[in-house]
Amino acid sequence: MKQLHKIRILFQILFFLFFTFLFFQATFPYKPLIPSEFFLQWSPLTALLTFLSSHRIYAGMIPAGILLFLTIFLGRFFCGWICPLGALIDFADLFIKRKRKLQRDSIRFRWVKFGVLTALVVMALFSVQFAWFFDPLALTNRTFATALYPMVAVLTESVFGWLWPIGFLQPFLMGVHEFLESWFLPVNLHLIAQGIPIFLLFLGILSLNLISKRFWCRNVCPLGALLGLFAKFRILERTVDEEGCVACKICQAECRMNAIEDNFVDFSKVECVDSFDCAADCPTNAVSYRFNVKEIKGSKIDFSRRRFLQSLGSGVLAAGLFKIDLVSRESRGDHVRPPGALPEDKFLEQCIRCQECVRVCSTTGGLLQPAWLETGLEGIWSPIGNPREGYCEFTCNLCGEVCPTGAIQLLDLATKQKTKIGTAFFDHNRCIPWNSGDNCMVCQEHCPTPEKAIVFREGDFVTAEGKIKRVKYPYVKEDLCIGCGICVEKCPVEGKPGIFLTAEGAEREEI
Amino acid sequence: MKSLSRRSFLSLSSQFGLLAFLPPVFPSRSRFRLFNRPYHPTPDLFVAKNGKPADLVKRVVDGLGGMDKFVQKGDVVVLKPNMSWDRTPAQGANTNPQVVAEVVRLCFEAGAKKVRVFDRTCNEAKRSYEHSGVAEAAKKAGADVYFPYKRNYVLVKIPGGERLHSWKIYKDVLDADVLINIPTAKHHSLSRVTLGIKNLMGYLGDDRGKIHRHFDQKIVDIASVLRPQLTILDATRLLLRNGPQGGNLRDVKWINTIVGGTDMVAVDAYGASLFGINPTELGFLVEAHKRGLGELNLKKIAIHKV
Repeated sequence: MKQLHKIRILFQILFFLFFTFLFFQATFPYKPLIPSEFFLQWSPLTALLTFLSSHRIYAGMIPAGILLFLTIFLGRFFCGWICPLGALIDFADLFIKRKRKLQRDSIRFRWVKFGVLTALVVMALFSVQFAWFFDPLALTNRTFATALYPMVAVLTESVFGWLWPIGFLQPFLMGVHEFLESWFLPVNLHLIAQGIPIFLLFLGILSLNLISKRFWCRNVCPLGALLGLFAKFRILERTVDEEGCVACKICQAECRMNAIEDNFVDFSKVECVDSFDCAADCPTNAVSYRFNVKEIKGSKIDFSRRRFLQSLGSGVLAAGLFKIDLVSRESRGDHVRPPGALPEDKFLEQCIRCQECVRVCSTTGGLLQPAWLETGLEGIWSPIGNPREGYCEFTCNLCGEVCPTGAIQLLDLATKQKTKIGTAFFDHNRCIPWNSGDNCMVCQEHCPTPEKAIVFREGDFVTAEGKIKRVKYPYVKEDLCIGCGICVEKCPVEGKPGIFLTAEGAEREEI
Repeated sequence: MKSLSRRSFLSLSSQFGLLAFLPPVFPSRSRFRLFNRPYHPTPDLFVAKNGKPADLVKRVVDGLGGMDKFVQKGDVVVLKPNMSWDRTPAQGANTNPQVVAEVVRLCFEAGAKKVRVFDRTCNEAKRSYEHSGVAEAAKKAGADVYFPYKRNYVLVKIPGGERLHSWKIYKDVLDADVLINIPTAKHHSLSRVTLGIKNLMGYLGDDRGKIHRHFDQKIVDIASVLRPQLTILDATRLLLRNGPQGGNLRDVKWINTIVGGTDMVAVDAYGASLFGINPTELGFLVEAHKRGLGELNLKKIAIHKV
């Protein structure tokens, strides 16, 4: 029993490494040992709330269901043993010194997480799925994809830059770079938007540790709240040998979840994350854990009726506010969604903004980027195309492959290559042949459809001097264009390109 | 071991950090070895038809006098296949992997120390390398296959360039002893066909999109410095339409032909004729001929069937 917390730490590290490993697997060539979206499907929070808002059932809900089932017996072991955000929060705690007194104080915020959960459920019922903002798995993956990984990659590249001027090192550096390219660095790095706000949010969550240990898990995390509700009658119980207990308070002071009551014997089943710290910390070895099925006592949930009603109201209000936001038709129509994306409403209800698609795309074509307000308040951080920074690779369907919730449906390659995500249009004021009468064919050359969607027609061009010259004018054949955006990315015109992409004609069907 | 104080740690790491401001004190000078061997093209073409791709290559190279005429013992050879597109070998957008593998083999047979294969791709690099089949085939034959690294381009002056006076070129090409161009024969919307000369674009750094304006002059400017000692045109299949990347198997015509020669203009002129195009209609060939890079007139080119 004394050693159990060490095993827990080992598991935390292993699960964190597993999470990181799956993240790195989401790349081309995609030959996963385990599908890289697998871990992201363990969250009952996103499974439940995407279901409540979109009424869709998908196979990826099974792991979440199993986890929820186990929680009924074991309690919030997920939080203590598995959650990568929990592991990072615990890790950050090693570097934080705080006044002990505050530890116990934060107990009055405990209800907040249930409030958040309630509000999220209400919002989901009004088909505003906002669980993605809080879900620790999506949140961690999002931070990895948009901030931490790009940061490491860019800084690594800078170190190469420092050493590159030393000429005789270059062959060695090339060798190292080649090795890194084989698993870690992309050959061409696509930077990802929104990394800074996403990172600051993440930093804020870690900083909450300044107030108390695991402040986020204790008081904010709605996944913790959901698991806590299911753990109310758990059978794995903490038992204290009352003769052995010397009331030294150590267990209570050290408990990362503040789950131990003032008599040091009782504990909150709703809050305990099975860290087994108390068993290890107890100087008289009075604490042990055992399964008790004889008399099952439930723990109290710190959520008053008043708070519940307040949260309910807040949820309604929030859903209303989200829904009254005007999404400009122009702005939404100017941005494409990934191939296989559900119809817009369903898509936003189903997408958990984990950025797995953005991550995998950034290792190949690099079309996808997390949105800001382009597709409305509800669309924040959902994937949109930015064809000036990247394009949709014709022979790639990895975004559908790695999407954990099926917001991007997996299309087989042949279908994907015929699925229209948008249409390209020439801007005659910018395009070189249209604007200055010189031949150019970069867009046409790169157009990937077997029968090219960009064609030429020779015509006369009148120069500023009134001379007439023959030029090949490019046209987009709308019926052939699938909207991959490679023409926009490769357009050699500086700044605003000579060809642009809109969501015109996008096929967004539910399969 | 003496423990590291905070003070000495900071001082040490800031010294290391100064590296960031390091001027190129030990610049790695490109030796431009490629320019040591003169380009003396002769308008003799060797054409092999019908057979396995590898045999065709062997017959053509033997006709030219064997690979040891070009590659000497201990040479570093750079090959330029086309592996720019995320397309399969059957789609005819990239050089036939079997052709590349055979050239690699012949180079080693002639005593090459290293054979290097790389291309700055149009589609994403890993996809193009893998799906073209070229990377695997070349690696199996013993070549070093790798991705060009963005810092490793060298600005090269183009004396007598008409539109370009300098451009960034990949250093490993400049430092090679021998450059062998192995293009594939494809339709192209702007230059009508893309053959050997256009294939050299795969070594260029910077924004290559800029080349496409005044394309004919610019591509010849590049070719005037990057002169391959040997061009082996892979016409095992022609991509007749929707080039340069195709994608439709109906656009691919198998003619099982390999053309080899030292004159890059002559090879391209013959290649154009395979498409039924008169080479004099092609702007970049006329331009290249004008600058003395090779022979354009098919009547003045000796064609040896092997």
